[in-house]
Amino acid sequence: MNAIPLTPLDLALAAALVLVAGAVSVALRLTLERSLALASVRTVAQLLLVGFVLEWVFDLDRAPLVLALMGVMVVLAGRTAVNRSGRRYPGLYLQSIATLIITGLLTTFVVTGAIVGVDPWYRPQYVIPLLGMILGNSLTGISLTLDHILESLAEGRDVIECDLALGATRWEAAREPVAAAVRRGMIPIINAMMVVGVVSLPGMMTGQILAGANPIEAVKYQIVVMFMLAAATSLGCIGVAMLAFRSLFNARHQLRAERIVRSRGR
Amino acid sequence: MAAKTTGMPLLATDNISIAAAGRVLVSGLTFSVEGGETLRLSGPSGCGKTTLLRALAQLVDVRVGDLRLGGSSPAELGYPTWRARVSLLQQQPAFHDEPVADALARPFQFATRAGRRYLPDEAVLLLRRLGLAESVLEQHARSLSVGQQQRVALVRGLLVQPAVLLLDEPTSALDDASTTAVVELLQERAAGGLAIIVVTHDLRLNALCDRTLDLSLFACAQAQAR
Repeated sequence: MNAIPLTPLDLALAAALVLVAGAVSVALRLTLERSLALASVRTVAQLLLVGFVLEWVFDLDRAPLVLALMGVMVVLAGRTAVNRSGRRYPGLYLQSIATLIITGLLTTFVVTGAIVGVDPWYRPQYVIPLLGMILGNSLTGISLTLDHILESLAEGRDVIECDLALGATRWEAAREPVAAAVRRGMIPIINAMMVVGVVSLPGMMTGQILAGANPIEAVKYQIVVMFMLAAATSLGCIGVAMLAFRSLFNARHQLRAERIVRSRGR
Repeated sequence: MAAKTTGMPLLATDNISIAAAGRVLVSGLTFSVEGGETLRLSGPSGCGKTTLLRALAQLVDVRVGDLRLGGSSPAELGYPTWRARVSLLQQQPAFHDEPVADALARPFQFATRAGRRYLPDEAVLLLRRLGLAESVLEQHARSLSVGQQQRVALVRGLLVQPAVLLLDEPTSALDDASTTAVVELLQERAAGGLAIIVVTHDLRLNALCDRTLDLSLFACAQAQAR
């Protein structure tokens, strides 16, 4: 690798580009300059913070510490996925976290263990960034899935109960909303896979190339990453949709839509 | 047309209580209907008529007491099978976003009707009986007027041939001619052995009903006090 090191002046020049955008906002009275300034400051602060954290994390050489950090990441992602959804029901936080524990950790360790062959298996330089990517994509998919299925079951209660009243099993009555919700959650990752390399170059691949990596090697990693994200997201979406189904239909094939409540502030 | 009842209890309740939103509405209710019989449920608004229909269809639980269809409980029959035989038509018909033809065929895709086929000719016959043209099959169910939807829902409820049909205000949006057609059709089905339990305030359905059960007699003290 022969990456060109960046000086503080280079970073300042990049900030100047944002200043141009801010100036345009002022000139056209778009009132975006405050948001732009706040977002820029947050970007610098958050990335510097994560840089220091990653430095510390990568020095960790003990599996329990890495696993604990992964656990914290999963819990935060699980909570965020639920908070982004417009509705919820009792037990949803736990289900979201449980789903991410299974799909996120499983996918991460399949990639690091079986595909990349990381040694030792918990090497944080690999497992932490990969899990981060998986969780970021999965929580988007999961929140979209939850939003869709909970809205379908709450707003479409009459139609579902009509099917039940005519002899449908709970699965027959719920199959369409469940499938539509999973499709909804998968749209971002499917779209990303459709245009990757054509319309957009993924950040990770671009970063590797800018850092001096061979483009073909960067592409191979990106392919693994895309497949990993697709697998984790689809498993996550299917997981939460099925858990919602099991939570909102009881063994007597009754819809328990009264368990669904709107999230606060929505 | 006088309905000929079978003389055998088909659907029977034994000392049931029903509740909505945690409030007991009716308690100690015991009654039965026979094949071919039509029972009207009466009582003031909010006394639990709709909830009772939903409980008979097992869309909500009965708090206490026992339900039997031909001697079998819902659990023994299986809940979907129970509902395939004790079918509820709700006051506000609800349809998927699909043409009427698909809406009518939908219940025949359920496992509880395995081996039974949707018969389009029979559907057309029933639609015509209720004053709806064959062309309605191509229209989206949700685009129909409420009165048309009520009649389509009734056609679907008859096509699936339940043993007991639970009707919640089935003629609330119908004119006199359509209501008469509905009454005549239901009387024919009752004569063929169909048991009907109907919640209605519509006096035009008097000719259909063999007897009336006043739910206010079973309203629990807690509900009455409110």
